This record gives sequence, structure tokens and C-alpha cells, in this order.
Amino acid sequence: MEALKTAYSSKVVAWLLVLILAIVIPPIAGGYLTSMLILISIWTIMCFSMNLIYGYTGQLSLGHAAFLGIGAYAFGLITVKLHFGFWPAFFIAIAITGLLAFLIGIPALKLRGPYFILVTLGFAVIVGVIVLGWIDLTGGANGLAGIPRPNPIPLPWGTKLRFDSLLSMYYFILFFLVLIGIFSSRLVHSLVGKTFIAISYDENLTESLGINTMSNKLLSFTMSAMFAGIAGVLYASYNIVISPDVTHFARGMDVVAYLIVGGAGTMAGPIIGTFVLMAIPEVLQIMPYLKTLINGLILMLFIIFLPNGIIGWFNTILGRLLKSGRVVNGPA
Amino acid sequence: MALLEVSGLTKSFGGLTAVSELNFQIQAGELLSIIGPNGAGKTTLFNLLAGIYKPTSGTITFNGMNMTGCNPYQVVRNGIGRTFQRTTIFRQSTVLDSVIIGQSLHAKVGVWGSVLKTSANCREEQKTREKAREILSFVGLADKENRIAGSLTEEAQKRLSISMVLATEPKLLLLDEPTGGVNLEEISGLMELVGKIRQSEITICLIEHKMRMVMSISDRIIVLNYGKKIAEGTPKEVANNEEVIRAYLGVRYAA
Repeated sequence: MEALKTAYSSKVVAWLLVLILAIVIPPIAGGYLTSMLILISIWTIMCFSMNLIYGYTGQLSLGHAAFLGIGAYAFGLITVKLHFGFWPAFFIAIAITGLLAFLIGIPALKLRGPYFILVTLGFAVIVGVIVLGWIDLTGGANGLAGIPRPNPIPLPWGTKLRFDSLLSMYYFILFFLVLIGIFSSRLVHSLVGKTFIAISYDENLTESLGINTMSNKLLSFTMSAMFAGIAGVLYASYNIVISPDVTHFARGMDVVAYLIVGGAGTMAGPIIGTFVLMAIPEVLQIMPYLKTLINGLILMLFIIFLPNGIIGWFNTILGRLLKSGRVVNGPA
Repeated sequence: MALLEVSGLTKSFGGLTAVSELNFQIQAGELLSIIGPNGAGKTTLFNLLAGIYKPTSGTITFNGMNMTGCNPYQVVRNGIGRTFQRTTIFRQSTVLDSVIIGQSLHAKVGVWGSVLKTSANCREEQKTREKAREILSFVGLADKENRIAGSLTEEAQKRLSISMVLATEPKLLLLDEPTGGVNLEEISGLMELVGKIRQSEITICLIEHKMRMVMSISDRIIVLNYGKKIAEGTPKEVANNEEVIRAYLGVRYAA
């Protein structure tokens, strides 16, 4: 019990340390690094989205770029063409993303394994084609410009929280990342989350214990898509301009790579995986067209040698150390 | 009124009729065994009762409700639990979590309650955990609740798979060869567990091949052969039935 408590508190300390670093570093680091961290944060939200549906519920979706795109374009269109304010547009865009995921999920989640994966991939391709082709609505390849930054939030002591600087935008996005992280963590440790995990282990067995696996998968899929929608809205608002590139299905596959490299079905996996796979090519100044190739290679190596990702590997090592430590310190 | 009433139940796969025109009843509180040679349709019958297969024709009435064509989870929610012939557990999950999943259909929890950790939600989860612990001590796994299910012995895994189904709180429990694949000493322990379950007022329908056990524990026995019922009665009646001896038991069993 003591060992458990120590392990728990050291975990909390580690998380707080990461959060403090995430808050403290950007003001010192300068604009380029901050803009990089903004993109990493947005894709980490995407990775949490993938973690919920794939890492915890066991349903691999290759189409999550579509939900990011739907969130981004819904937000962009509502603000630019319908002149809605930031917050109403924010919630409407997330609701639209969730609704579409729900409607797609009903037929798609009836399929299992590779068939489900193919439907999600097909969905992403279709959304990409619509965004590119429906020029009157989306602006086609020219993209959609003039998307607003968040409205200033009035604070009780008179000043206003503004989001026109890069740094404030970073904190705005970090806030949502932390929110989604806490949401995910609490959800997967609850009975609802345990049900999702049970489905990922054995769907037939879960159903034979009286659980409606279909409605649980649909719930997980819809929530996951809404996370992706939030990532899309944040991306659109940060970038001011969006183009059909954001819905490209290959971006959805990148997220799968981030998750597997980090460790699917763990809380730290999305953060580590996204950070490593997005930061390393940037540090090494790798050509953009080589990134996908290198991502693919790294993904293959991980699936063969470390299928549980960095965090999974770390946990195994930690488990071994704890075990051997117990033998040494034990009462024997 | 019978707890379960099966009438005219037929299942064909293409040209093969696995279960044909089956009629029988299970009374509340009894232990009914289903025996028969391999391929007689016993497991197919269980799959039909559990909603995994949809019958080609015929009806299944449980507790006065027509259950024909229900989904597996609806069947469980209405009170029929089943174990599988091959031991099926969540191998990577802990023992306690596995039983909690079995109990979870009775818990009123939601996404917002879980994320906001509302007191109602925490109470429900606590209740589920307590109930799961109760069941674990009932089946004799109380000291193993933190073990990973896949690391248990085959016998303990059998107990776990039964406790997961018990957690759904069935009125009728379908046990598909609960003693398959364990050694002789462990069989008597598992059979004791079956007896204990029966005493807790759960009706049991059992598929078994170990004749001595079936004869001693059952109230009634149904014998299937090629998907048809060839005999039904008390263990004594069945053991002396000539058709049963010819099809399944062999001459050695004739009194």
C-alpha cells in the first residue's frame, strides 16, 4: 500500500512538473518555439482523441483528420460567413462534429476490425474531396480566411484576457489540452472507461456480460470526434486561415503514428508521442516531404520492437525495477 | 409456469440442421443437464438461448417474456447468463475489474458523472466494487482480486469466468462444460461451486460430458443427438433409456 501511495504521488508530481514546464518555457523560448508548441499542443489534443477511440476502446479510426477538418471548417464558416461570435461558433462547431460522428458511427461501428478502419478511411477521403470541391462553400483549394481569434474574456478585476499575441494563444490552447487530458484521465478510470477498455479486450465477451457494446462504442467515437473537433476549431482560430490540407487523411494517419509511438491506452502516451514525432523532424530540419516517410519508418520499427510505445516500454522497465527492488528490500 | 420454455426451436446453417424442432422447459430452481455426443447441437442450443444465433424458427420464452431474436446483451439484462466452453476472460484485466464489468449493467453511471466525480456516480461505483468483492469471495477468489486475470491457473480462470457471469445477477445460468480442461482434483472443487450457486436460488442449465458428475448433480437430463431431443427425464430414466445408451452412453452404462 505504501509503495502504491508513493507511486501515485510521484506520478502527480511528474504531471505537475510537465505542466509547469509547459507554462514556463514558452515566454523564455521566443516566437518560433512557441508557434511550434502551439501546433504540438493541437496535435496532442488530436492524439488524446485517437487514444480514446483506439487506445482505450480498441477501434482504430484512420479518418480522424476528417473530424478535425469538420470542426475547423464548421467554425470557419460559422464565423466568416454567418458572422457568429467566437464562443457560439465554438460550441456549434463541436456539436456539428459530434453529430456527424454519431451519424457515421451508427453504420461504421457495426463493422469490426479492418472493415471499420476502411470505412473511417473512406469517410476521411470523402470529406477531403467535398472540402476541396465545394468551392462556393469552402473556397476550395484557396482555403478560408479571416477566422477570428477568441474574444477577450473580461476578468473580475477589470482587465480583459486578450488573445491577440502568440503567447496568449498558446496558453488558450494549453488550457484546452489540460482540460481534455483531465477529462480523458477521469473518464478512463471510471466505470464507463472500464467498459470501453473491456470492449477493446474482447467485444463479444463484454456483450455477453449484458453491456450494449454498440452504444458504448458510439459514445466513445462521438466523444473522440468532438475532441478532434476542438483541435480543429483551435487550429482554425490560431491559424486564421484554413485550407483543405487540414482534412487530408494522411494527417489522421500521422496521429495514429504519434499514439502508437507514445503508447496507446496510456495517459502520457499521446503527449510523449506527439512531442517526439513532431519535435524531432523540426530540430533536425527535415524536409516536409520526408517527414511522412520517416514517420512511417519509425511507426514500423515501433510496431515490431516496441508495440506498447515509449510509455508501455517505460512501464515494463519500471515494473521490473519495482519487482527486483521488492525482492531486495523484502522481509525475507 | 416454467422459467424457460423452448418450443419448436430450429437452427439450420445452410443444409445442416444443428438444432431441430426442440421442445423443453426449465423449471425455476432446478438443475437441468444437456448431454449428447459431440456435434449434437448442445453449444448451438446455448448460443440460441444466449441470443448469439437467431433461430431459424421456434420461440424462446423466458420468465413469461418472448426472447426470440433478442441481442446477447438484452438476453443477459433479462436474466440469462452464460459461460463459454473455452474459458473466456479479459486476460489483461485485473480479477476485480473483470467482475466489476460483469456487475456494471446494474450501475447507473454516466460520462458527466464520471468526469465530474459526482457523489451519485462515486456511490454507484463503490456499490459495484463491493458487490464484485462479494461475488469474488463467494467463488473463492477474494485473495486474488489484484491479480492479472491471464496469470491465474486454468481452474481459477474458470472460477473467474463464472463469477463474471454471476455478477450480471442471472436468474438462469447456462454453464457450458464448466469443468473442461482442468485436472481431476479441481473438478470436484468446481462442482462444489456449481452446487453452491444452485443453493443461492439460481436455476442452472449445464452442458457436461463427465457422466458420473451429471448423473449425481442433475434433477433432470435432456439428451440430444443430431440436433434432436432423444430422451428427457431423471438421471435414472435417462441412464436406462436404450436409445441414449446406443447413441451416447454405450453398453457399459446399461444397468
